[in-house]
Parts: sequence; C-alpha cells; structure tokens
Amino acid sequence: MTWIDFPLYSGIVFAFWVIGLIVLLISYKKKPLIKAANILFTLGWIVLIVFVVKLWIELDRPPMRTLGETRLWYSTFLPLIGFITFFRWKYKWFLGYSFIMAIVFLAINYLNPETYSKTLMPALQSVWFVPHVLVYLFSYAVLAASSIVAIKGWYDNYQGNFKIETLKLADNLVYIGFSFLTLGLLFGALWAKEAWGHYWTWDPKEVWAFLTWMGYLIYIHYRHFHPNKSKQALTILALAFVVLLVCWFGVNYLPVANNSVHTYTD
Amino acid sequence: MNNNTTQIRRNLWEAPWGYVESFFIGIGLMLTGFFLEIASSSGSNFTISYPYNLYFLTGFIAFLLVLYFVFGNTQLVRWLTKVPASISSIVLVTSLVMIMGIVPQVPSENGIVTNLGLNKITSNWAFLLVLFQFLTCLGLITIKRITQFNVGNIGFILNHLGLFLALTAGMLGTGDLQRLSLNTYENKHSWIATDANNNIVELPFAIYLNDFLIEEYNPKLALVDNETGNIADNSGKNLYLIDKGEDYIYNNYEVKVEEFFVTSGRIGDRYMPVNDLGSPPSAYISVKNIENDSIVKGWISCGSFAHPYQSLKLDDNYSFVMTIPEAKKFSSDIDIVSKNGEKTPTILEVNKPFKYDGWKLYQLSYNDKMGKWSQLSVIELVRDPWLPVIYTGIFMMIAGAFYMFWVGNKITKNQ
Ligand code: HEM
Repeated sequence: MTWIDFPLYSGIVFAFWVIGLIVLLISYKKKPLIKAANILFTLGWIVLIVFVVKLWIELDRPPMRTLGETRLWYSTFLPLIGFITFFRWKYKWFLGYSFIMAIVFLAINYLNPETYSKTLMPALQSVWFVPHVLVYLFSYAVLAASSIVAIKGWYDNYQGNFKIETLKLADNLVYIGFSFLTLGLLFGALWAKEAWGHYWTWDPKEVWAFLTWMGYLIYIHYRHFHPNKSKQALTILALAFVVLLVCWFGVNYLPVANNSVHTYTD
Repeated sequence: MNNNTTQIRRNLWEAPWGYVESFFIGIGLMLTGFFLEIASSSGSNFTISYPYNLYFLTGFIAFLLVLYFVFGNTQLVRWLTKVPASISSIVLVTSLVMIMGIVPQVPSENGIVTNLGLNKITSNWAFLLVLFQFLTCLGLITIKRITQFNVGNIGFILNHLGLFLALTAGMLGTGDLQRLSLNTYENKHSWIATDANNNIVELPFAIYLNDFLIEEYNPKLALVDNETGNIADNSGKNLYLIDKGEDYIYNNYEVKVEEFFVTSGRIGDRYMPVNDLGSPPSAYISVKNIENDSIVKGWISCGSFAHPYQSLKLDDNYSFVMTIPEAKKFSSDIDIVSKNGEKTPTILEVNKPFKYDGWKLYQLSYNDKMGKWSQLSVIELVRDPWLPVIYTGIFMMIAGAFYMFWVGNKITKNQ
C-alpha cells in the first residue's frame, strides 16, 4: 500500500462523492434524499481514511512531510468540517462546498504523482510533529471555509439579500479555525524549543503564520465591537485570507524563503 | 435610514477617540521610530539584560497600574482600553511584521532598507514603539478585566494575560538569552564554546564525548540523465530505498536489487562486505529495459570521503546511481564533568535535549562530510532564565484557545 494504489482508491472516493453531490443537488427538491447523499459521502470518506491509515503504516512515518501528503490531509479534513457544520447548523450548500474542495485536492494529487520517500529527517521525529501539523492543516481548512462564506456574503450583498446569519457562520468557523491556529503556533513554539533550542526565530514561515494569526485577530475584535458593520467585516476576512494564502503557498516565492526550516522537500 | 439623523457628527480629537485618531497616533509613533532609526545610525542592536530588563518589566507593570487606577478617567486611558486603539496597534504591528516577512533580515546593500532598519525589524525603534503601544493596550485591558472579574472573563484573561506575559518576557528575555555552540571530539574533554558572534566563552563544566553515533536510512536508487547528471525519473520524487530483494520500476526500466551491503569495499570488479573507516554501501542490481528486453547488471555505490562512487550505465542516455544515505538519527554519548570532577553521563539526541545546571544541551550537528564516521559532535548550549514566564504565558494561551473553541460554539448555539 503506497501512493501507487492512490489512483484506485481516489477513483472509488471520487465516484462516491460525485454521486453524493448529485444526490445532494436533487435533495433541494426532494428533501429526504439528503440522507442518501450523506451515506454516499460517508462511504467515500471511510475509503479515504483507510487509504491514509494504510499509507501511514506503510511509510513508517507520519505522511505529513510533502505537499502531496498535506493535500491528502485536506481531502480528509474538509468532509469533517462539512459534516460538523451540517449537523450543527444545517448548511447544505456548505456541505456541498466541502466535498467539492476535497475532490479538488484529490484531483491535484492524482495529477501530481507523489513521492514514495520513507525518510524523515531527525528534527521532524518528534511527538510534536503530528499535533503541530494536523492542528495547522485543520485550522487552514476551516479558515479557508470561512472565506468561502465571506464570498457568499459579498455575493448576497451584491444581490441585495444579505443575511446576518451568513456572517455568523463565518464567525463560528473563524473561532474554531483561530483557536486551532493558536494551538498550531504554540505547539510549534514548544517543539522548536525541544528541537532547535529556541521557541521563536522569526523564520519566514513563522512570520507569515504570525501575520495570519494577527489578521484573524483583527477580524475577531472588529466583529465583536461592530456587530452590524458587515461589509467592513467581510473585507477584513477576505484580507486575512489573502495573508493565509501567502503563508500557505506563497512563502516559498518570497525573497525571504532561502532560510526557512519549513520549506517542503518535495 | 433615520439612523443618520440621530448620529451626531463628531469632530476630530473630540472624545471619544475613534479609528482616525487611533491611526493618527499609531502612525505618528511609527514615524517617530523611523526618524530615531535614521538618527541613531549605529549598527548595534539595542538589548537590555539582567537586572535592567527586570527593572523595566516592574516599571512597565507599575506604569500600567498607575495609569489604570490613578488616571483611569483621562481621555488617554479611556481611549487605550477601547477597541479602536487596540485594532490600530494590531494593524501597525502586523504591517511592520509584514515588512519582516518580505525584506530578508540580513545586512543589505540597499540604502533605504539599511537607514530605516527594515532589515532588523525586531530591534527597530518603529517596531518597538508600536509594540509598546500594543502592549500598553493589552496590559490595560487585562487589568480592567481582572479587576472586574467574573467567571465569563476567564477565557479573556487566559488569552490576553497569556499573550502579554509571553510577549513581554520574550522581548525582555532576549538580553539574557545565551546560545553557545561547543565542538566536542571523541575521547576528549571540551569546554571552550563560542557564541553567535564567535566570541569565546568558557563553560563552568566540561563535556567528554564517549561516542558519536549515527543511524542511517538505506541509500536511495536514482535514474540519472548521463548528459546533465540530473535525476531523470519523475523530477526526483520517486526514489526508493535500496534493499536486497526489492523490485522497482523506473520509467521503462525494471530494477531488481540482487545484493545490498551496508558497508563494503571494492575488490577487483565487485564489492564485498567490509567494515573499515569510510566503507560505503553498495548494491548489485539487474536492470531490464522493458522496451527491448535487454538486461544490464552491475554494481553501484555512493562512495564516501574515502572511496569513489560507482554508477551503472544502462545505455547512452541513462545510468543508475546510489544516493548518499540520509541520517535517521544521530546522538552523542557524553559525560558532563563539573569543576569538582562529578560526572553526569547522558545521551543527547535531536529533539531530546538534556537539562544541566540551568543550561539545556542540544545535539546540533556533526561533520557531514565524514557522515557516520564523524569524530566531531557539535553541541548547543542554551540558557534562558525567562523561560518559565514565557511558558506560563504559552500555556495560558493554550488553555485560552481550548476555551475559545468551546465557547465560540456555545455563543451561537444560544442565539
Ligand atoms: C490571544 C490573542 C487574543 C484573543 C484570542 C482575543 C480575543 C478576544 C475576544 C474573544 C474578545 C471579546 C470577548 C470578550 O469581551 O470577552 C476580546 C476583547 C478585547 N480584546 Fe482581545 N484577543 C486577543 C488579543 C488582543 C490584543 C493583542 C489586544 C490589544 C492590543 C486585545 C484587545 C482587546 C480589547 C480592547 C477587547 C475589548 C475588551 C473590553 O471592551 O472589555 N486583544 N479579545
């Protein structure tokens, strides 16, 4: 079981999820079908989780080192976020969005064959590695989801039927995402102290993670004190997401990238 | 739309100060900082160390308490404890850190960058002044909530006080932080370390290196282009570890690893298991070209500092080579010897530092040209007396994050 089997597994997952999405769409007309959609989503999700677990066992190290492995985790987490928001707050469109994004990440992985490398440098062999990375990935996925909500908010605004509920969903997601972002940042600091002797070195990735954190901090405070200024809040949320994207993908292209301990070895 | 009629327009600088005034003050501080930066063109970094940083911290907290309890009714303090002041200072700190995220923090040729100190943001006056306002806001708001304590404030206090502690202690603690690196050699005592600026520092104890150990992964197999020497298969992603009996497919070659030795020596035209200083790994592989069924067999080895490498040429275009093994684990078996001769034996490993007499010892590196035959182990020694305060702040924030995750949900559930 390695990435060689990925086309097979991702094909099965893909089939379940696409049919699930179609059923979800029909369920806007025929309500009870939502159950069927959720069953299809769940089945696909289980297959994906089986793949992740087997890959982990086979690689003999956490599959969290390369960009492809990271994308695999997004595909695994997005359904979870979709399910949580659906069962808590009943957002159907958001459930659909989560699965579409998960499919996109699977597709990118399918088109970019992945490394089979089993090696893991000593500094990464730490009890902090898994929590640090998982917490971050989860946080990014949730915060990315909050920006989709922001885009919907803008669109609704433009159409003239903006509802404050949309912003409240964004708030929920930002609170969840932000608390995980804080944990990711702090776990990283504790780990860095164990591995490199200092908890914070202003490494480029750290700088941008800090900036992302500050961006969402502005949003949280702004929202809390100006609950009715929805347009400004949406703008702040969009800007914070731009910073997050730089942190996520862009750092490697900045002039500061040379010296980062975080650049992925692909 | 009848809101507009009830909303009375406020003049600039009329109480309460809003965003315009807040940014006015914040940007004013920042520009002052940049002027100071230009004026004090000395290249040296400004840091304060014990006991002055402790005085500073005590003074700062006293200053905040006096501000809050004595001048609590002034326009200034009321402004500092409201959101516009906080948001403007968060935005300005963010902007300055963003400069750090774009301009490399190394000596620069660029006049503007150097004069404004954009390549040393963490000790830049503009940053320090803006951060001072930031911490003042944070400190005052924390005092406010602590004095108005109720259970619902716990999350707030964990987050804000935690951040305040972690940041102030982190900033002020840099002056007392010592990071030394010490070269140790097998079967020798070492106690002369160097700091970041290559100054010599004599340690109050010595370190005796009994043994430096390295565990390696097996080497990997790579298909390379004869002409360019670049890895030809799938942009270097799919490199497999070499092990006896493995079969792999690289492009249109089927590879079978028939023999593999972890340490070996070349004898005539073949390799044999040998365990000398610098004996490299080697493997005997057989490669079948799927297109024309031709088979090539031969030895490959990555070589070492003492021996040349050996590749296997398949045809005019491609060869198979063995990559240099990557380290899996490295560690130093050491004795720490105090001035009066007491020995403390321990093993240092990456991610497993050891605490001794207020110092923390880390396995840093080794002579990577020599790889597993390195006689040198570099040990890093760190002393950071402010760490307990910083950790208190960090753990408060961790608790605060859990609280936020939990309550963030609750608020919406009740609505
Ligand atoms: C760990 C980072 C932070 C988190 C998680 C956080 C979170 C929050 C939350 C959730 C609130 C509103 C909830 C409540 O009133 O109980 C709040 C209020 C506030 N925060 Fe923060 N905050 C953080 C950092 C900061 C910083 C750095 C500043 C200022 C520089 C600041 C200034 C304020 C102010 C002024 C209020 C209003 C308090 C009041 O009016 O009583 N916060 N914060």
